[in-house]
Amino acid sequence: MRFREYIVYRLVLAVFVIIGVVTVVFFVSRVIPSDPAALWVGAHPTPEAIEKAREQLHLNDPVVKQFAYYLWSLLHGDLGVSIRTHNPVATDLKSAFTATFELILAAEFIAIVIAIPLGVYSAVKKDSWVDNFGRVFAISGVSLPAFWFGIVLQLIFFKHLGILPLAGRVDTVVMLEHPLHVITGFYLLDSLLTGNIPVFVDALKHLILPALTLAMYPIGLITRQVRSMMIEVLNENYIRTAWAYGLPSRKIYFKYALKNAIAPALITVGLSFAYTLVGAFLVELIFNWPGLGRYAAYAILSMDYPAVLGVTIITATAYVFINLIVDLIQVKLDPRIRL
Amino acid sequence: MKKELALFMLVITVMGVVASGCLSGQESTPTSTASGETSTPEKTTNVVIYGYGSEMITLDPSTEFSNSIVVLANVYECLVKYTPNGLEPWLATSWESNENGTVWTFHLRKGVKFHTGNTMTAEDVKWSIERTLRMGLGPAFIWDPIDKMEVVDDYTIKFYLKYPANLPLTASSAYGAYIMDSKYLSTIGDDNAIADWLNQGQDAGTGPYIMVKDKYDPKTEIVLKKFDDYWSGWSGDQFDIAVIKIVPDASLREQMVTSGEIQITRDLPLDDLPKLQENPSVKVDQTASYQELYAFFNTKKEPLNNKLVRQALSYAVPYKDIVDYVLHGYGEVAKGPIPKGMLGHFEDMDTYTYDIDKAKQLLAQAGYPDGGFKLVLTYTQGDQAEAKVAEIIKAEWKKLGVDVEIRPMNWEQQWALAKSDPSKAQDILMMYWWPTYPTPYDFLFNMFHCEPEVNFNLCYYCNDEFDKAIDEAATLEGINQDKAAQLYRKAEEILMEDAPAIFFYNPDDVYVYHKSITGFKDNPGYPQVVFFYDLHKV
Repeated sequence: MRFREYIVYRLVLAVFVIIGVVTVVFFVSRVIPSDPAALWVGAHPTPEAIEKAREQLHLNDPVVKQFAYYLWSLLHGDLGVSIRTHNPVATDLKSAFTATFELILAAEFIAIVIAIPLGVYSAVKKDSWVDNFGRVFAISGVSLPAFWFGIVLQLIFFKHLGILPLAGRVDTVVMLEHPLHVITGFYLLDSLLTGNIPVFVDALKHLILPALTLAMYPIGLITRQVRSMMIEVLNENYIRTAWAYGLPSRKIYFKYALKNAIAPALITVGLSFAYTLVGAFLVELIFNWPGLGRYAAYAILSMDYPAVLGVTIITATAYVFINLIVDLIQVKLDPRIRL
Repeated sequence: MKKELALFMLVITVMGVVASGCLSGQESTPTSTASGETSTPEKTTNVVIYGYGSEMITLDPSTEFSNSIVVLANVYECLVKYTPNGLEPWLATSWESNENGTVWTFHLRKGVKFHTGNTMTAEDVKWSIERTLRMGLGPAFIWDPIDKMEVVDDYTIKFYLKYPANLPLTASSAYGAYIMDSKYLSTIGDDNAIADWLNQGQDAGTGPYIMVKDKYDPKTEIVLKKFDDYWSGWSGDQFDIAVIKIVPDASLREQMVTSGEIQITRDLPLDDLPKLQENPSVKVDQTASYQELYAFFNTKKEPLNNKLVRQALSYAVPYKDIVDYVLHGYGEVAKGPIPKGMLGHFEDMDTYTYDIDKAKQLLAQAGYPDGGFKLVLTYTQGDQAEAKVAEIIKAEWKKLGVDVEIRPMNWEQQWALAKSDPSKAQDILMMYWWPTYPTPYDFLFNMFHCEPEVNFNLCYYCNDEFDKAIDEAATLEGINQDKAAQLYRKAEEILMEDAPAIFFYNPDDVYVYHKSITGFKDNPGYPQVVFFYDLHKV
């Protein structure tokens, strides 16, 4: 199959996957006994207000018809209106999504910068203190819960050292004095584009702890992966040959060995994006990050089904696309894999 | 591989350029004059931040019936202000009624400016109330007594009522009684267009603070700035900017207020309050709220349709222990259905107290000497206090041979079940009530008045004598409070005898604020609202 055809094929499949997810979530959320009209009108409503809301929300129609309504508006890019906030779900999700995505990107950046060198050194200096440290770090990164790390980091860097902020995305006072002109929704990027340095510095400070917390899991994963691949590769004949030629060790490790060891690790990086998306849900609550996680938690607890569906669609889409991209990278990196 | 490496290097280089740009840019960019001043932000901007647990819903004063009054009560004003010591003038300076409370005249304050620059007149009052009634959502029912409104002159408005009512109290309502700028808003379009305009983070009120539109983010923070032309004026140590910051996590809010990152907050974990009371950097403010926790008996279902069983179970509740254990002392045992501080609350009311022997005796009298029945109790999932109370009464009632199945449910689910067929619904339902505006009628009518279709009378109770007493009391509330109180008392005594519900406790409203502010005063008539205008710098 040709490359372009393959992408089209995968994209068509993706649409079916997403429609499937939407269908399941829609019907599950409607089967659970709850009264969206009661949520729509708020506390202490009158029966008239409830009836009015039922009509407004099409709740008196059969579920299948409601589903048709939903799909129809979805085709027009309309995710419906949140029952809890009365805002269009798409608007709510847009800002939440960029906040979460900024966090995830930062976490992945930290993970790659730490994990790859750590993995290489662990393999090169097998069973040394570096390796042991790397092992403990990796295992704890994978097994200890993210919220625990988050709280420990808050205790150290906010409470005791007082050098990093406790929570939030940017300081209120800084934002008031240096209004940020939002272009992309990524605060770091926007503040750079508009030359708003105080906001950039402040947003960066706010980003460090949650991103580090979120990075712990991928760090563990990638370090172990790189280490085991490197050990395998370092036993290969061509590496022995390189040693025999007396090539500098740095060149052997980072150029010849890592090149072959990194392919599987890149897959792990790709997949860990999906993991961090889930991890972000917890980390956001601890660091009061106004992202998807907080939004989803609220939506689920209050059975705000258009919002739950919106989050589901976004997350499902992200998953599907990350998988696709990972598969494509794999093909590009490893000539043995055919489409 | 080289490409990847090159890309990586490129990223690093860009970061480096950016970082150096930060350093050199500070002197050269045009924004540097502004940023130069901000190295000490506390001095240039004086901001007060209220850390609040949930997001804002709607900013339309006509329909808002939830927690957005936290914003609205600072941006808009009502005709009358409720205080626990009585009603006070707000946008109206005085009011009077005819003898039987069916015609009310309000005299408005002169020289009140809207944020739009227009002057407030009686037309605005009429328009605001008419819009709320027309939209018919949320709190619109509070104006139900109104037959018609007459604008006498710019500063006088007359209300003709269908039946006698305490209209000044209605006009003080935290929901649905805010006065909007009719001249400005009516140019925007129809009611829905106005709602959209308002929900973009704009306002048309008279209050001391204005919404800052481009900073409006209902999920993160709401920024208000002081209104220079506010009718009551400003003193130097008030705050120019007030922020409501949404922080759902209670322990995070606690850390933020102790570190001074936010100045005031509420709903902190009760277990932590004793520790905070010792903390020199914060103050803990504790005021009785107008909230009460109830458990409704299903009076339409065996065996709770038997009054003696309900009385027996009411005796088998360790009221004092519950307040100590669940509220850690931050609240009081309820004296009947009406919270302390309101009309219709009687300290000397003969309420149920813990008496397990009496309970056993009553149960035997009812024909259940060893209990032997099972009850399903529902409460709102996630409410720690309700969960603890449910556990306590389960343990206590076990002593009577009564088995309780505790079922936590999402509120909408719980309510839907309760509104279905009472003969198949839950046996006991736990719920809080707080008033739309502080009248005992709001409590007694909603929860215990006969209902043709179930709404909030979730004990399915119906007693004509009770209904007659409260209906009459409501008409007298505005003109003869003593007589009204007597009638409310009579009604509450009927409730005590019939025991359709258990009255547990009134929790305190507990605010924690940083030592850098002063002047905070909780007003239970406006739940969860911090009036920023009252706050001063220390």
